[in-house]
Amino acid sequence: MTCSDVQRVLPELLDGAPDSAFQTDFETHVNACPACSDLLSDLKLIASQARQLAATEEPAPRVWVRIAAELRAEGMIREPESAPKSAPTRPILVPTSPRRRWSAWWLAPVAAALLAAGSYVVSYKPAPQVAKQQAPATPVASPVPETPAVTSAAVPTPAPQQLAQKSAKSTDLVGSAVGPAVEPEPSAEDQQFLSVVSTRAPSMRATYENQLQAVNADIRESQAYLDRNPGDADARQHLMDAYQQKALLYQIALDRIQ
Amino acid sequence: MTDPKQGITEAEAIEQAKQGHEAAFEVLYHLHKRRVYSLCLRMVSNPVQAEDLAQEAFLQLFRKISTFRGESAFSTWLHRMTVNVVLMQLRKKGLPVVSLEETLEADDEAPRKEFGAKDVRLTGSIDRLQLQRAIDRLPPGYRTVFVLHDVEGFEHNEIAQMVGCSIGNSKSQLHKARLKLRDYLKFMRAEKAKTG
Repeated sequence: MTCSDVQRVLPELLDGAPDSAFQTDFETHVNACPACSDLLSDLKLIASQARQLAATEEPAPRVWVRIAAELRAEGMIREPESAPKSAPTRPILVPTSPRRRWSAWWLAPVAAALLAAGSYVVSYKPAPQVAKQQAPATPVASPVPETPAVTSAAVPTPAPQQLAQKSAKSTDLVGSAVGPAVEPEPSAEDQQFLSVVSTRAPSMRATYENQLQAVNADIRESQAYLDRNPGDADARQHLMDAYQQKALLYQIALDRIQ
Repeated sequence: MTDPKQGITEAEAIEQAKQGHEAAFEVLYHLHKRRVYSLCLRMVSNPVQAEDLAQEAFLQLFRKISTFRGESAFSTWLHRMTVNVVLMQLRKKGLPVVSLEETLEADDEAPRKEFGAKDVRLTGSIDRLQLQRAIDRLPPGYRTVFVLHDVEGFEHNEIAQMVGCSIGNSKSQLHKARLKLRDYLKFMRAEKAKTG
Protein backbone atom coordinates (compact mmCIF):
# COMPACT_ATOMS: atom_id res chain seq x y z
CA MET A 1 0.00 0.00 0.00
CA THR A 2 1.30 3.46 -0.94
CA CYS A 3 0.69 6.86 0.67
CA SER A 4 -1.91 7.57 -2.01
CA ASP A 5 -3.68 4.34 -1.17
CA VAL A 6 -3.76 5.39 2.47
CA GLN A 7 -5.36 8.69 1.51
CA ARG A 8 -7.96 6.78 -0.46
CA VAL A 9 -8.98 4.33 2.26
CA LEU A 10 -8.52 6.68 5.23
CA PRO A 11 -12.08 8.11 5.20
CA GLU A 12 -13.44 4.57 5.58
CA LEU A 13 -10.96 3.33 8.15
CA LEU A 14 -10.57 6.40 10.32
CA ASP A 15 -14.05 6.23 11.79
CA GLY A 16 -13.78 2.60 12.70
CA ALA A 17 -15.34 0.97 9.67
CA PRO A 18 -13.60 -2.40 9.67
CA ASP A 19 -12.42 -3.57 6.29
CA SER A 20 -10.20 -6.57 6.63
CA ALA A 21 -9.11 -6.32 3.02
CA PHE A 22 -7.35 -3.03 3.71
CA GLN A 23 -6.81 -3.02 7.44
CA THR A 24 -3.63 -5.07 7.60
CA ASP A 25 -1.93 -3.35 4.67
CA PHE A 26 -3.02 -0.01 6.00
CA GLU A 27 -1.57 -0.63 9.44
CA THR A 28 1.65 -2.01 8.00
CA HIS A 29 2.13 1.08 5.88
CA VAL A 30 1.22 3.55 8.62
CA ASN A 31 3.61 1.90 11.05
CA ALA A 32 6.43 2.26 8.57
CA CYS A 33 5.60 5.69 7.13
CA PRO A 34 6.13 8.71 9.45
CA ALA A 35 4.14 11.04 7.18
CA CYS A 36 1.06 8.82 7.11
CA SER A 37 1.46 8.07 10.80
CA ASP A 38 1.48 11.80 11.56
CA LEU A 39 -1.50 12.34 9.29
CA LEU A 40 -3.48 9.63 11.04
CA SER A 41 -2.59 10.96 14.51
CA ASP A 42 -3.50 14.51 13.56
CA LEU A 43 -6.87 13.57 12.07
CA LYS A 44 -7.75 11.49 15.11
CA LEU A 45 -6.73 14.37 17.37
CA ILE A 46 -8.90 16.84 15.44
CA ALA A 47 -11.88 14.49 15.61
CA SER A 48 -11.48 13.94 19.36
CA GLN A 49 -10.96 17.61 20.18
CA ALA A 50 -13.93 18.66 18.08
CA ARG A 51 -16.29 16.76 20.37
CA GLN A 52 -15.37 19.12 23.17
CA LEU A 53 -16.95 22.01 21.28
CA ALA A 54 -20.41 20.49 21.50
CA ALA A 55 -21.90 22.67 24.23
CA THR A 56 -19.31 25.26 25.08
CA GLU A 57 -21.03 28.46 24.05
CA GLU A 58 -23.48 30.34 26.23
CA PRO A 59 -26.17 32.34 24.44
CA ALA A 60 -26.76 35.88 25.61
CA PRO A 61 -29.56 36.32 28.17
CA ARG A 62 -31.51 38.30 25.57
CA VAL A 63 -32.22 35.07 23.65
CA TRP A 64 -34.48 33.75 26.39
CA VAL A 65 -36.04 37.18 26.86
CA ARG A 66 -37.00 37.21 23.17
CA ILE A 67 -38.26 33.62 23.25
CA ALA A 68 -40.41 34.32 26.31
CA ALA A 69 -41.80 37.47 24.69
CA GLU A 70 -42.69 35.51 21.55
CA LEU A 71 -44.31 32.72 23.56
CA ARG A 72 -46.45 35.29 25.35
CA ALA A 73 -47.33 37.04 22.10
CA GLU A 74 -48.42 33.72 20.59
CA GLY A 75 -50.46 32.91 23.68
CA MET A 76 -48.52 29.76 24.42
CA ILE A 77 -47.86 30.75 28.00
CA ARG A 78 -50.96 30.34 30.10
CA GLU A 79 -51.22 32.18 33.36
CA PRO A 80 -52.84 29.94 36.01
CA GLU A 81 -56.04 31.27 37.53
CA SER A 82 -54.67 31.28 41.06
CA ALA A 83 -50.95 31.15 41.39
CA PRO A 84 -49.49 30.40 44.80
CA LYS A 85 -47.42 33.26 46.11
CA SER A 86 -44.42 31.07 46.72
CA ALA A 87 -44.25 29.87 43.13
CA PRO A 88 -44.86 32.68 40.70
CA THR A 89 -45.43 31.29 37.23
CA ARG A 90 -44.19 34.39 35.54
CA PRO A 91 -40.56 34.39 36.60
CA ILE A 92 -40.00 38.07 36.24
CA LEU A 93 -38.54 40.26 38.90
CA VAL A 94 -41.70 42.21 39.54
CA PRO A 95 -41.50 44.43 42.62
CA THR A 96 -43.78 43.13 45.32
CA SER A 97 -44.16 46.45 47.07
CA PRO A 98 -43.36 50.07 46.28
CA ARG A 99 -41.14 50.24 49.36
CA ARG A 100 -38.72 47.83 47.73
CA ARG A 101 -38.34 49.74 44.49
CA TRP A 102 -35.32 51.64 45.63
CA SER A 103 -33.49 48.63 46.97
CA ALA A 104 -32.08 47.59 43.61
CA TRP A 105 -30.75 51.01 42.69
CA TRP A 106 -27.22 49.67 42.89
CA LEU A 107 -27.76 47.41 39.88
CA ALA A 108 -27.37 50.27 37.43
CA PRO A 109 -24.00 51.50 38.68
CA VAL A 110 -22.81 47.92 38.97
CA ALA A 111 -23.77 47.29 35.35
CA ALA A 112 -21.94 50.47 34.40
CA ALA A 113 -18.98 49.46 36.52
CA LEU A 114 -18.85 46.09 34.77
CA LEU A 115 -18.74 47.80 31.42
CA ALA A 116 -16.11 50.21 32.67
CA ALA A 117 -14.08 47.35 34.11
CA GLY A 118 -14.35 45.43 30.86
CA SER A 119 -13.41 48.48 28.89
CA TYR A 120 -10.44 49.09 31.17
CA VAL A 121 -9.17 45.51 31.08
CA VAL A 122 -9.69 45.09 27.38
CA SER A 123 -8.45 48.45 26.21
CA TYR A 124 -5.67 49.33 28.56
CA LYS A 125 -4.21 46.37 30.38
CA PRO A 126 -2.57 44.72 27.40
CA ALA A 127 -1.72 47.95 25.64
CA PRO A 128 2.07 47.89 26.14
CA GLN A 129 2.29 44.36 24.77
CA VAL A 130 -0.20 44.97 22.00
CA ALA A 131 1.65 48.02 20.80
CA LYS A 132 4.57 45.86 19.83
CA GLN A 133 2.47 43.58 17.67
CA GLN A 134 -0.23 45.77 16.18
CA ALA A 135 0.03 48.40 13.55
CA PRO A 136 0.11 51.84 15.18
CA ALA A 137 -2.71 52.97 12.90
CA THR A 138 -5.11 50.58 14.67
CA PRO A 139 -6.32 52.42 17.74
CA VAL A 140 -8.11 50.51 20.45
CA ALA A 141 -11.41 52.32 20.47
CA SER A 142 -13.42 52.40 23.64
CA PRO A 143 -16.04 49.76 22.93
CA VAL A 144 -18.55 51.17 25.38
CA PRO A 145 -19.09 54.81 24.59
CA GLU A 146 -22.59 54.71 26.01
CA THR A 147 -21.49 53.78 29.52
CA PRO A 148 -22.72 57.01 31.14
CA ALA A 149 -26.20 56.37 29.78
CA VAL A 150 -26.48 53.20 31.81
CA THR A 151 -26.60 55.21 35.00
CA SER A 152 -29.90 56.84 34.25
CA ALA A 153 -31.26 59.78 36.15
CA ALA A 154 -33.91 57.52 37.63
CA VAL A 155 -31.43 55.84 39.93
CA PRO A 156 -28.95 57.35 42.36
CA THR A 157 -25.58 57.86 40.77
CA PRO A 158 -22.67 56.73 42.90
CA ALA A 159 -19.74 58.97 43.64
CA PRO A 160 -16.91 58.63 41.13
CA GLN A 161 -14.69 57.05 43.76
CA GLN A 162 -17.40 54.52 44.51
CA LEU A 163 -17.72 53.63 40.86
CA ALA A 164 -13.97 53.40 40.48
CA GLN A 165 -13.78 51.10 43.48
CA LYS A 166 -16.42 48.84 41.99
CA SER A 167 -14.60 48.80 38.67
CA ALA A 168 -11.33 47.98 40.35
CA LYS A 169 -12.98 45.25 42.34
CA SER A 170 -14.47 43.70 39.23
CA THR A 171 -11.11 43.90 37.50
CA ASP A 172 -9.37 42.31 40.46
CA LEU A 173 -11.90 39.53 40.48
CA VAL A 174 -11.14 38.70 36.90
CA GLY A 175 -7.42 39.03 37.38
CA SER A 176 -7.37 36.81 40.43
CA ALA A 177 -9.47 34.21 38.70
CA VAL A 178 -6.80 33.51 36.11
CA GLY A 179 -5.11 30.34 37.15
CA PRO A 180 -6.45 27.13 38.56
CA ALA A 181 -9.84 26.11 37.24
CA VAL A 182 -11.52 26.39 40.63
CA GLU A 183 -14.87 28.10 40.76
CA PRO A 184 -14.19 31.27 42.77
CA GLU A 185 -16.58 32.73 45.28
CA PRO A 186 -19.06 35.13 43.69
CA SER A 187 -18.21 38.79 44.10
CA ALA A 188 -20.04 40.93 46.64
CA GLU A 189 -22.06 42.53 43.82
CA ASP A 190 -23.08 39.13 42.45
CA GLN A 191 -24.10 37.93 45.90
CA GLN A 192 -26.14 41.06 46.51
CA PHE A 193 -27.72 40.71 43.09
CA LEU A 194 -28.68 37.09 43.73
CA SER A 195 -29.98 38.01 47.14
CA VAL A 196 -32.38 40.52 45.59
CA VAL A 197 -33.47 37.98 43.00
CA SER A 198 -34.08 35.42 45.76
CA THR A 199 -36.27 37.91 47.59
CA ARG A 200 -38.31 39.02 44.60
CA ALA A 201 -38.58 35.84 42.58
CA PRO A 202 -37.09 32.76 44.22
CA SER A 203 -37.82 30.62 41.19
CA MET A 204 -35.57 32.85 39.08
CA ARG A 205 -32.55 32.68 41.33
CA ALA A 206 -31.23 29.48 39.76
CA THR A 207 -31.56 30.98 36.30
CA TYR A 208 -29.63 34.11 37.17
CA GLU A 209 -27.09 32.18 39.21
CA ASN A 210 -26.41 29.85 36.29
CA GLN A 211 -26.10 32.75 33.91
CA LEU A 212 -23.75 34.61 36.24
CA GLN A 213 -21.58 31.53 36.67
CA ALA A 214 -21.46 31.01 32.94
CA VAL A 215 -20.57 34.57 32.10
CA ASN A 216 -18.02 34.78 34.92
CA ALA A 217 -16.41 31.58 33.65
CA ASP A 218 -16.35 33.05 30.16
CA ILE A 219 -14.66 36.19 31.46
CA ARG A 220 -12.05 34.16 33.34
CA GLU A 221 -11.36 31.91 30.38
CA SER A 222 -11.13 34.81 27.95
CA GLN A 223 -8.87 36.73 30.30
CA ALA A 224 -6.59 33.73 30.75
CA TYR A 225 -6.37 33.26 27.00
CA LEU A 226 -5.70 36.97 26.49
CA ASP A 227 -2.95 36.88 29.08
CA ARG A 228 -1.28 34.11 27.11
CA ASN A 229 -1.94 35.84 23.78
CA PRO A 230 -1.93 39.58 24.45
CA GLY A 231 -1.80 40.47 20.78
CA ASP A 232 -4.94 38.56 19.88
CA ALA A 233 -7.55 41.13 18.87
CA ASP A 234 -10.32 38.52 18.59
CA ALA A 235 -9.67 37.31 22.12
CA ARG A 236 -9.80 40.89 23.40
CA GLN A 237 -13.11 41.42 21.64
CA HIS A 238 -14.41 38.17 23.11
CA LEU A 239 -13.49 39.36 26.59
CA MET A 240 -15.26 42.66 26.00
CA ASP A 241 -18.31 40.78 24.77
CA ALA A 242 -18.28 38.71 27.94
CA TYR A 243 -18.21 41.83 30.09
CA GLN A 244 -21.02 43.33 28.06
CA GLN A 245 -23.02 40.17 28.46
CA LYS A 246 -22.64 40.34 32.23
CA ALA A 247 -23.63 43.99 32.22
CA LEU A 248 -26.63 43.08 30.08
CA LEU A 249 -27.63 40.45 32.59
CA TYR A 250 -27.66 43.06 35.35
CA GLN A 251 -29.45 45.47 33.04
CA ILE A 252 -32.23 43.00 32.26
CA ALA A 253 -32.78 42.46 35.96
CA LEU A 254 -32.74 46.21 36.47
CA ASP A 255 -35.38 46.71 33.79
CA ARG A 256 -37.61 44.16 35.43
CA ILE A 257 -37.22 45.60 38.91
CA GLN A 258 -37.61 49.28 38.20
CA MET B 1 -32.00 14.85 32.99
CA THR B 2 -32.76 17.16 35.90
CA ASP B 3 -32.27 20.84 36.41
CA PRO B 4 -30.49 20.66 39.78
CA LYS B 5 -31.32 24.21 40.75
CA GLN B 6 -35.00 24.04 39.88
CA GLY B 7 -35.38 20.49 41.20
CA ILE B 8 -37.49 19.44 38.26
CA THR B 9 -36.81 16.66 35.80
CA GLU B 10 -36.85 17.15 32.06
CA ALA B 11 -39.87 14.87 31.76
CA GLU B 12 -41.78 16.93 34.34
CA ALA B 13 -40.79 20.13 32.58
CA ILE B 14 -42.03 18.75 29.26
CA GLU B 15 -45.41 17.88 30.74
CA GLN B 16 -45.72 21.28 32.42
CA ALA B 17 -44.66 23.04 29.21
CA LYS B 18 -47.49 21.25 27.42
CA GLN B 19 -49.79 22.98 29.91
CA GLY B 20 -48.24 26.33 29.04
CA HIS B 21 -46.18 26.94 32.17
CA GLU B 22 -43.56 29.53 31.47
CA ALA B 23 -41.22 28.25 34.16
CA ALA B 24 -41.22 24.84 32.47
CA PHE B 25 -40.34 26.37 29.10
CA GLU B 26 -37.53 28.18 30.81
CA VAL B 27 -36.21 25.02 32.46
CA LEU B 28 -36.13 23.26 29.10
CA TYR B 29 -34.42 26.25 27.55
CA HIS B 30 -31.69 26.35 30.17
CA LEU B 31 -31.13 22.60 30.02
CA HIS B 32 -30.42 22.72 26.29
CA LYS B 33 -29.44 26.28 25.41
CA ARG B 34 -25.68 25.72 25.30
CA ARG B 35 -25.88 22.71 23.04
CA VAL B 36 -28.38 24.36 20.69
CA TYR B 37 -26.61 27.70 20.54
CA SER B 38 -23.20 26.07 20.12
CA LEU B 39 -24.52 23.97 17.25
CA CYS B 40 -25.94 27.06 15.53
CA LEU B 41 -22.76 29.03 16.11
CA ARG B 42 -20.51 26.30 14.73
CA MET B 43 -22.62 25.95 11.62
CA VAL B 44 -23.01 29.62 10.72
CA SER B 45 -19.94 31.13 12.43
CA ASN B 46 -21.86 34.27 13.26
CA PRO B 47 -23.01 34.96 16.84
CA VAL B 48 -25.92 37.20 15.86
CA GLN B 49 -27.28 34.71 13.32
CA ALA B 50 -26.67 31.90 15.79
CA GLU B 51 -28.80 33.66 18.39
CA ASP B 52 -31.61 34.10 15.88
CA LEU B 53 -31.39 30.47 14.83
CA ALA B 54 -31.31 29.19 18.41
CA GLN B 55 -34.35 31.33 19.15
CA GLU B 56 -36.17 29.93 16.13
CA ALA B 57 -35.23 26.35 17.04
CA PHE B 58 -36.59 26.71 20.56
CA LEU B 59 -39.74 28.42 19.33
CA GLN B 60 -40.38 25.61 16.85
CA LEU B 61 -39.77 23.13 19.63
CA PHE B 62 -42.17 24.82 22.02
CA ARG B 63 -44.83 25.20 19.33
CA LYS B 64 -44.69 21.45 18.69
CA ILE B 65 -44.09 20.27 22.21
CA SER B 66 -47.65 19.01 22.58
CA THR B 67 -46.86 16.44 19.87
CA PHE B 68 -43.83 15.08 21.71
CA ARG B 69 -44.69 11.56 22.85
CA GLY B 70 -41.31 10.49 24.12
CA GLU B 71 -40.55 7.86 21.46
CA SER B 72 -37.12 9.42 21.01
CA ALA B 73 -34.98 11.35 23.44
CA PHE B 74 -36.09 14.93 23.82
CA SER B 75 -32.55 16.16 23.17
CA THR B 76 -32.37 14.16 19.94
CA TRP B 77 -35.66 15.67 18.82
CA LEU B 78 -34.48 19.18 19.66
CA HIS B 79 -31.09 18.81 18.02
CA ARG B 80 -32.56 17.45 14.82
CA MET B 81 -34.98 20.35 14.81
CA THR B 82 -32.10 22.75 15.32
CA VAL B 83 -30.14 21.24 12.46
CA ASN B 84 -33.18 21.54 10.19
CA VAL B 85 -33.64 25.19 11.16
CA VAL B 86 -30.00 25.94 10.39
CA LEU B 87 -29.99 24.00 7.12
CA MET B 88 -33.16 25.75 6.01
CA GLN B 89 -31.51 29.08 6.72
CA LEU B 90 -28.39 28.10 4.78
CA ARG B 91 -30.53 27.03 1.83
CA LYS B 92 -32.50 30.27 1.97
CA LYS B 93 -29.26 32.22 1.76
CA GLY B 94 -28.11 30.11 -1.16
CA LEU B 95 -25.21 28.62 0.76
CA PRO B 96 -24.38 25.00 -0.01
CA VAL B 97 -25.23 22.64 2.83
CA VAL B 98 -23.09 20.09 1.07
CA SER B 99 -20.21 21.00 -1.21
CA LEU B 100 -20.09 20.09 -4.85
CA GLU B 101 -17.43 17.50 -5.49
CA GLU B 102 -16.12 19.35 -8.53
CA THR B 103 -15.56 22.48 -6.51
CA LEU B 104 -13.89 20.52 -3.78
CA GLU B 105 -11.47 18.77 -6.06
CA ALA B 106 -10.53 22.02 -7.72
CA ASP B 107 -9.39 23.77 -4.57
CA ASP B 108 -8.54 20.78 -2.48
CA GLU B 109 -4.79 21.06 -2.67
CA ALA B 110 -4.49 24.83 -2.60
CA PRO B 111 -4.51 25.52 1.13
CA ARG B 112 -2.01 22.82 1.92
CA LYS B 113 0.44 24.07 -0.65
CA GLU B 114 -0.08 27.62 0.46
CA PHE B 115 0.47 26.89 4.12
CA GLY B 116 3.49 24.64 3.86
CA ALA B 117 4.80 23.84 7.34
CA LYS B 118 4.45 20.14 6.69
CA ASP B 119 7.08 19.41 9.28
CA VAL B 120 4.89 20.73 12.09
CA ARG B 121 2.83 17.96 13.62
CA LEU B 122 -0.22 18.60 15.74
CA THR B 123 0.60 17.09 19.08
CA GLY B 124 -1.04 17.15 22.46
CA SER B 125 -4.25 19.06 22.60
CA ILE B 126 -5.64 21.68 20.25
CA ASP B 127 -6.58 25.04 21.67
CA ARG B 128 -10.34 25.41 21.62
CA LEU B 129 -10.33 28.91 20.17
CA GLN B 130 -7.89 27.92 17.46
CA LEU B 131 -9.99 24.95 16.52
CA GLN B 132 -13.08 27.13 16.43
CA ARG B 133 -11.34 29.63 14.17
CA ALA B 134 -10.19 26.87 11.87
CA ILE B 135 -13.75 25.54 11.66
CA ASP B 136 -14.97 29.04 10.87
CA ARG B 137 -12.64 29.09 7.87
CA LEU B 138 -14.08 25.93 6.38
CA PRO B 139 -16.35 26.32 3.36
CA PRO B 140 -20.00 25.98 4.47
CA GLY B 141 -20.45 22.53 2.95
CA TYR B 142 -17.40 21.06 4.66
CA ARG B 143 -18.28 22.83 7.88
CA THR B 144 -21.79 21.41 7.97
CA VAL B 145 -20.66 17.80 7.70
CA PHE B 146 -17.74 18.27 10.08
CA VAL B 147 -19.87 19.93 12.75
CA LEU B 148 -22.65 17.39 12.46
CA HIS B 149 -20.32 14.39 12.61
CA ASP B 150 -17.29 15.30 14.69
CA VAL B 151 -18.79 17.93 16.99
CA GLU B 152 -22.40 16.80 17.33
CA GLY B 153 -21.90 13.08 16.90
CA PHE B 154 -24.43 12.38 14.15
CA GLU B 155 -23.80 9.27 12.05
CA HIS B 156 -23.14 9.48 8.31
CA ASN B 157 -26.52 7.98 7.44
CA GLU B 158 -28.26 10.63 9.57
CA ILE B 159 -26.20 13.41 8.00
CA ALA B 160 -26.90 12.12 4.52
CA GLN B 161 -30.62 12.17 5.26
CA MET B 162 -30.56 15.65 6.80
CA VAL B 163 -28.45 17.42 4.21
CA GLY B 164 -29.62 15.41 1.23
CA CYS B 165 -26.45 13.71 0.04
CA SER B 166 -25.12 10.18 -0.17
CA ILE B 167 -23.40 8.47 2.75
CA GLY B 168 -20.24 8.24 0.70
CA ASN B 169 -20.38 11.93 -0.01
CA SER B 170 -20.75 12.66 3.69
CA LYS B 171 -17.70 10.53 4.51
CA SER B 172 -15.69 12.11 1.75
CA GLN B 173 -16.55 15.64 2.82
CA LEU B 174 -15.77 14.88 6.43
CA HIS B 175 -12.34 13.59 5.48
CA LYS B 176 -11.60 16.63 3.35
CA ALA B 177 -12.82 18.93 6.08
CA ARG B 178 -10.44 17.28 8.56
CA LEU B 179 -7.56 17.62 6.11
CA LYS B 180 -8.29 21.31 5.66
CA LEU B 181 -8.55 21.81 9.41
CA ARG B 182 -5.19 20.11 9.85
CA ASP B 183 -3.65 22.52 7.37
CA TYR B 184 -5.28 25.54 8.97
CA LEU B 185 -4.16 24.49 12.45
CA LYS B 186 -0.62 23.82 11.32
CA PHE B 187 -0.53 27.19 9.63
CA MET B 188 -1.82 28.91 12.77
CA ARG B 189 0.82 27.18 14.90
CA ALA B 190 3.56 28.11 12.48
CA GLU B 191 2.39 31.74 12.46
CA LYS B 192 2.24 31.81 16.24
CA ALA B 193 5.72 30.35 16.49
CA LYS B 194 6.99 33.04 14.12
CA THR B 195 5.47 35.92 16.07
CA GLY B 196 6.76 34.42 19.28
